[in-house]
Amino acid sequence: MASKKTRMFDYKDVEDLQVYMTAQGKIHPAKRTGLSGREQRRLKRAVKYARLMSLISYVS
Amino acid sequence: MTEKKYIYQAMFLLDNEEVRKGFNAAKDWIQSSLEKHGLEVKVLRLWGERQLAYPIGGRKRATYLLGWLEGSGDMVNEVRRELYLIGPAFRCLFLQEDAIPEEELVYGIQKMEDSELIIPEEFQEPDFEEPYEEPEEEQAAKDEPKEEKAEKPNSAEKTEEVKTDG
Repeated sequence: MASKKTRMFDYKDVEDLQVYMTAQGKIHPAKRTGLSGREQRRLKRAVKYARLMSLISYVS
Repeated sequence: MTEKKYIYQAMFLLDNEEVRKGFNAAKDWIQSSLEKHGLEVKVLRLWGERQLAYPIGGRKRATYLLGWLEGSGDMVNEVRRELYLIGPAFRCLFLQEDAIPEEELVYGIQKMEDSELIIPEEFQEPDFEEPYEEPEEEQAAKDEPKEEKAEKPNSAEKTEEVKTDG
């Protein structure tokens, strides 16, 4: 049985990350994003790297 | 014992004032700094020049430099320490990756002329508040009530005069 392909997130792809974020700059919960635990953690890491490099603001 | 080598993706935020002096000079400084500490630079290219999401040290715009490197963790730590102290980069990020994507390998160490990169001037807010000068219309409107007040006593005198006459 083929394993299900999991989603990857790139911190440089700001438009893709902002889909999973609120207007305030918070990350939507997994219940709303529909991502698995592993994917949600990848998203969290990508958002934090993007914030560090000033691609996304911490608050808006 | 030889240190294990990994592949890293690196991103550097360059100060636009340094980049205006010459993008190639800033890029070469970063490259030489990486190589000095033993890192092998596979790719080093311009990722973009854009507005920062929040100001960093008074800077509102910056130039992003993307690189793919090979080396050990200790080398990366030494480079990171140096970059935060001196040089054109004011922020950097190193991420360990499995492999370099093929589309990135095409770039190699990018060579471009300084004139190709156009950096817009930042709007600088004045350090002091300029004194507020009232427009002439507003000043005229303020002066008018004073004249009326000055006229009132005259009108009162007139009424008194009328009373005395009666």
